[in-house]
Amino acid sequence: MSQGLSRKIIEYALTFLVIVSMNFFLPRLMPGDPFTFLSTEEGSITIIYTKEQIDRYKAYYGLDQPLLRQYVTYLACLGRGDLGYSIYFNETVGRIILNRIPWTLTISIIALVLGGLGGTLLGSLSAWRRNESMDQGLYLIMIVCSEIPTFLVGVFLLFFVAARLRWFPLAGGITPFANFKTGFARFNDLAAHAFLPIMTLSVTRLADFYLLARNTIINVLTKDFMRTAQAKGLRKRRLLFRHALKNALAPVVTRAFLSLSTVFNGAILVENVFNYPGVGRLLREAVIVRDYPLIQGVFLFMTVTVLIMNLLAEVVYKQLDPRVN
Amino acid sequence: MRRKLMNCFIFIIIAVMCVNMSGCIFNKKSEKASADQQPLVINLEGGDWGYPTPYGHYQRGPGIFKMQLLFDSLLQRGEEGLIPWLAEQWEVSSDGKEYTFTLREDVKWHDGQNLTAEDVKFSFSYFAVHPPVFDKLQEGKGNLVAAIEVVDEHTVKIVVETANATVLERLGAMRIIPEHIWAKVDDPKKFNTPEAVIGCGPYVLKAYDREQGAYRFEAFSDYWGPQPRVDVIQFVPVSDGILAFDQGEIDLTSVSPDLLAKYEDKKEFALKRNPAFWGYRLIFNMEKRPEFKEKSLRQAIAYAVDQDELVEKVARGAARPASAGYLPVDHIWFNHEAKQYGYYPERAKELLEGKEYAFTLLTGNNNAELRIAELLKISLGTVGLKVQVKSVDMKTRDAAVKNKEYEMVLYGHGGWGNDADLLRSLYAREEGVGCSPSADGIPGYTNVRINELCQRQLREMNPERRKELVMELQAVIAEEIPQLPLYNTTGYIVYRPEKYDGWRYMFDHHEVTHNKLSYLEFK
Repeated sequence: MSQGLSRKIIEYALTFLVIVSMNFFLPRLMPGDPFTFLSTEEGSITIIYTKEQIDRYKAYYGLDQPLLRQYVTYLACLGRGDLGYSIYFNETVGRIILNRIPWTLTISIIALVLGGLGGTLLGSLSAWRRNESMDQGLYLIMIVCSEIPTFLVGVFLLFFVAARLRWFPLAGGITPFANFKTGFARFNDLAAHAFLPIMTLSVTRLADFYLLARNTIINVLTKDFMRTAQAKGLRKRRLLFRHALKNALAPVVTRAFLSLSTVFNGAILVENVFNYPGVGRLLREAVIVRDYPLIQGVFLFMTVTVLIMNLLAEVVYKQLDPRVN
Repeated sequence: MRRKLMNCFIFIIIAVMCVNMSGCIFNKKSEKASADQQPLVINLEGGDWGYPTPYGHYQRGPGIFKMQLLFDSLLQRGEEGLIPWLAEQWEVSSDGKEYTFTLREDVKWHDGQNLTAEDVKFSFSYFAVHPPVFDKLQEGKGNLVAAIEVVDEHTVKIVVETANATVLERLGAMRIIPEHIWAKVDDPKKFNTPEAVIGCGPYVLKAYDREQGAYRFEAFSDYWGPQPRVDVIQFVPVSDGILAFDQGEIDLTSVSPDLLAKYEDKKEFALKRNPAFWGYRLIFNMEKRPEFKEKSLRQAIAYAVDQDELVEKVARGAARPASAGYLPVDHIWFNHEAKQYGYYPERAKELLEGKEYAFTLLTGNNNAELRIAELLKISLGTVGLKVQVKSVDMKTRDAAVKNKEYEMVLYGHGGWGNDADLLRSLYAREEGVGCSPSADGIPGYTNVRINELCQRQLREMNPERRKELVMELQAVIAEEIPQLPLYNTTGYIVYRPEKYDGWRYMFDHHEVTHNKLSYLEFK
């Protein structure tokens, strides 16, 4: 057991090191640097630095050092928990990311839970009533939903639910400059802003989980123990949720943990559509301006989250399926 | 037990949804209440552009101008040229090396202290050691300012190393920062306390939310100058400008030409067409492809490109064909008489004398650039110039331009309305001076006449004579056509005049919201 555990730890540590190294080198291998801005988006202007100014900034941020030395410095700082200083945003990377994490995590986790539960529930029902009209209708809808790009769902919700019906705010994570009298009012405001991003993310998750749950349960339903349970005269609800779903749960739960990275990807698009202040939008900005320390920081956060989720998935899978050692 | 838990969870989800709905209704009520308030609050499209100190804002326009709302400069850019600001008058010595500025006496910092000549001296000295983001003092490896002397409490004399025509504008554009705050700051990049935004400008920063991209500026009650007409300027997060404008969340937005009809001839809306100070150009790399050194080839390309078609199809009419002499039609020193090529494919063919060429055209990846590139490919193709389009992301293209790794490159940028000395950085070759891509001309190209005129206009201190030189320079550039300016955009803005109608342009810039005077009582 302890040998297995130490092997696992080494595996994860190696994975971590490889990813951290890639996070360091890849942005630096991309063409461009954090200080050269020549062209701009239509209508906007930029300050163009001279070579002397660029050299000065490079020296200030230590980017004039040989790459290997920068790498060693980065690892040493990382060991101390120092993620560096953002070149573009003029702020410590740690603080920038910390301020954004709650926004992304909230919408991602709620979307995952909603999509996961809803999808599994609908998938179970669909499998139970396989080939009936309800199943066929749901299946068609879900296949369509799973194929629609997330941002398109977002744009649709933005235009119709937020702009046309005016049920929800158009952008942002909270009403700016508002003085909320109570915590409840503040919560209200936050929830109203988060609602559409969550819905957008949920839709594709819902379809994903629906298809997985439906397939798995259809498979489970053909098993002998299900026939036995049926023969015992158990009620349908008990049959479906206690016997079938329980046995189909392992892959669904694993998917739930593993799909957090997919949700993050979705969050990048959704946050851009709704101008939501999360890590996803930050990553996009960081890549556009080639802010190396920030790109490293955001990828590191994502890496760590995904690794933790992998680990959790492994642990939970073992709990759910005792056959796995 | 599990069933209970499940029920509980479903209840929570339903409760959250109900709360959401009530949240919206609640929001609408509070919006209504705020509309009845007296002070004039203007809402504009937000976005994070950095902490608005001279060191904290980002490199882009919206970052620069937010900082400028808080910090004043010696001179200000008006509608027709430079106007007195913190300096009520100035004198330039006959050799063009000494600039004496007389400061206003009633200028206060946001914390109540008086602004003096010492602050001005301190600012320039501090900028020499710690260059701010928007730095006009940099000259080669050094600083423009050779010496600075406080004559009396309200007079300051700045001496420069070499006289040139751009010095006044550059000195006048630098922000003045309070000595009593910044003297103790060693690393201004990391100085982001509330003290760092104490300036002497017409507005005070009351709130900044980096994550939301929201700013709130309030009028400074002790401001020395023209009184603010707008009491509060708020920058709020926006997902889509038009949606936000239609819902009244913002009071001004840019509008694409296809949507103009929605706002035209309606009393509640007013439209403005921006001056043409942003544009696309095509640069020929004569180091990589020496064929471009042939003037006839460059002229053939100019004749083969249909600028009107680009304006019509890509910019949907919201642009003007660019001048072959570079300075756009709205520039104060635009030369109307410089040669313009027009679309004459037959002349292009004559100039090419049956020769055929193949080039790679590097471009960015936004829609407009791709469309321009494809249209160029078609029109150049008809005269025997085969073009292969290569599209990359903006930063990759910028890097390629910087490293001269392209044959032909298409790119767009602003600043076409700036001081005419920009022609020197774009066209002249000055060995050993400046190496940034836009500072050493066109790769592989040098022209004695252009170099000479560029130098003469820079050294000419008499504005009238300088203007003549710049006119001549444009004529030579248009004939030589070392690069091909394509078109200058003239986007539209829409606003509600009943709420606020003070929007105006600076003489050299296309954004009314970037103009400090837009918010002030200024005639």
